[in-house]
Amino acid sequence: MSNILEIKDLFVEVDGKVILRNINLEIPKGEVHLLIGPNGSGKTSLLMTIMGYPQYKVTKGSILFDGKNLLKLNITERAALGIGIAEQRPPTISGVKLKMLLSYLLDKNPKWKEEIDKEIENSKMKSFLNRDINGGLSGGEIKKSELLLLLSRQPIFTMLDEPDSGVDIDSLELLRSMINKLFSPEEEHPVKRRSGLIITHSEGIIESIHADKTHIIINGEIVCDGNPQLVMKQVVTSGFESCIKCNNLQGSV
Amino acid sequence: MNTSQNDKIENLQAEDKTALSEVAVFVENDQRSGTFVLKNSSTICGHSQQEGIELLPIAAALKKYNWLEEKYFWKQISKDKSEITRACASSKTPLGYFIMVKKGHKVTLPTQAALYMAKADEKQIIHNIVILEEDSELELITGCVTKQGIDKGEHIAVSETFIGKNAKFTNTMVHSWGSEVEVKPHSVTVVEEGGSFVSNYVSLRPAGKIVSNPVTHLNGAGASAKYFSIILGSGSSEIDLGGDVYLNAKGTSAEIAHRAVCTGGKIIQRGMLIGKEECHAHVDCSGMLIDPGEEGFIESIPGVKAYHEDARMSHEASIGKIAPSEVQYLMTHGMKEKEAISMIIRGFLDSDIKGLGPELDKRIAEIAELAGHGSE
Repeated sequence: MSNILEIKDLFVEVDGKVILRNINLEIPKGEVHLLIGPNGSGKTSLLMTIMGYPQYKVTKGSILFDGKNLLKLNITERAALGIGIAEQRPPTISGVKLKMLLSYLLDKNPKWKEEIDKEIENSKMKSFLNRDINGGLSGGEIKKSELLLLLSRQPIFTMLDEPDSGVDIDSLELLRSMINKLFSPEEEHPVKRRSGLIITHSEGIIESIHADKTHIIINGEIVCDGNPQLVMKQVVTSGFESCIKCNNLQGSV
Repeated sequence: MNTSQNDKIENLQAEDKTALSEVAVFVENDQRSGTFVLKNSSTICGHSQQEGIELLPIAAALKKYNWLEEKYFWKQISKDKSEITRACASSKTPLGYFIMVKKGHKVTLPTQAALYMAKADEKQIIHNIVILEEDSELELITGCVTKQGIDKGEHIAVSETFIGKNAKFTNTMVHSWGSEVEVKPHSVTVVEEGGSFVSNYVSLRPAGKIVSNPVTHLNGAGASAKYFSIILGSGSSEIDLGGDVYLNAKGTSAEIAHRAVCTGGKIIQRGMLIGKEECHAHVDCSGMLIDPGEEGFIESIPGVKAYHEDARMSHEASIGKIAPSEVQYLMTHGMKEKEAISMIIRGFLDSDIKGLGPELDKRIAEIAELAGHGSE
């Protein structure tokens, strides 16, 4: 199976400081991977680098998306290839209403309009449409709004940054069902699931979303990967400290 | 319902009609209650087509109604007030429109007036009178425009508006000028008890120089005024846009919201609230700079002046630039950089201004588009 994402030997700096080093990551088409790690380990930086935020300067290595070199493309061009992201703390844009951005997206993808209307109804987001994007919303409401925007264009590869953190228990189920829709099969390939990379600290994600692999990132490096259930069980039991020790042992062999 | 003698609308060329449509005046649109077109110094048409509204060239109206000069003409503005008023008062045959809405008539379709300059170095001097009698309603769209390619000229306008008891008047003015045209409007509005005045001003192509300080007197209890302005400054344009509202009676209210986008040139936004009775009012001048060059600037000067202890008035001013993080965020949703900038400008321009209507929404989208291009 070919890879939708292939990162090789990637080094990234922000303001001259190295924040990601020697990243190697492959996500085959149709797979959803998880990315976990302690706070400040580089999880969000990796997603922002893949999306093409110019503050994240790639100093070495490569990122291929469906065989294409992403490093030559700006954010818009990467989005046009079918990459989507739901950020953890997206900016509020004064005066720009959620409905303005939704209409822009649905004008380009009119076939999703009916589904989005239903989604707005189900997620009780009608009252948010006339609000500024991400303005005055709770953590959970921002997540819903971000997922709704992604569903309006159905990317083939979706990156989610802690999609269920700060979400109340009543909204969790709805949110997870929206996430599963993002990873539902592609329209043209009914047996091929869409791919993604999800940052999470939550065991619940593993229970509700089928993830194929988990990668652990510590201090800007991917130090381990494995079966999502087993990795999460280990981390929950022994914390990331055990990963550091394990990685050091492996390094010393 | 009336038609002036000098209707020659068929004489307008296609390019004239295109110019007028740029400022929301559509001469063949039957969805208007009346149309007035002044081309250079010739009145092309002035007629109404709905019961309750009378629209005439001002010279014809002065001939028809003796009381017009006695009660309204030059009654709110002194002929000697300024160079502008003196120039206007010296015209033997005044140019401009007279609009009157009869008592109790609510004009359902907008009326439109175009002040159109199609010749270079033309000096257009205008005097307009609008009267809304008690309990009447009118929406007027005024488009001021130079023909494409005409850069120089002078447009001087005196406007006197009288809004009767419980009457409602909305004036949406759209400007689109040649780059060296000088524009000096001088307008005064009087609002009686319970009356309301909404003034929307949109400047698409800025003139070389615009100096405007419309004044409104809220003379009757419960009268209200709202000024919304949306301007785009570019090149070497100089725009000085003000607005004074005198809150002279109990329970009056006013709101001034100026929005400016500067991609060059000088913009001064002013707004002054003068509270002489128990009243409430707010003035907000906001600006956004997008690559304004070394000389470009926005200066915001909101002000309040209270003569009464129950006058509750406030002001705010803010000027900023577009945050790259906002542009990048919209780009992650597939927008090109320019599209993202345009959407942010559009949001800035109509933030907190409710119910502008489709006509003005369209103009705002055009300004956002133009300003977005300016950022390239």
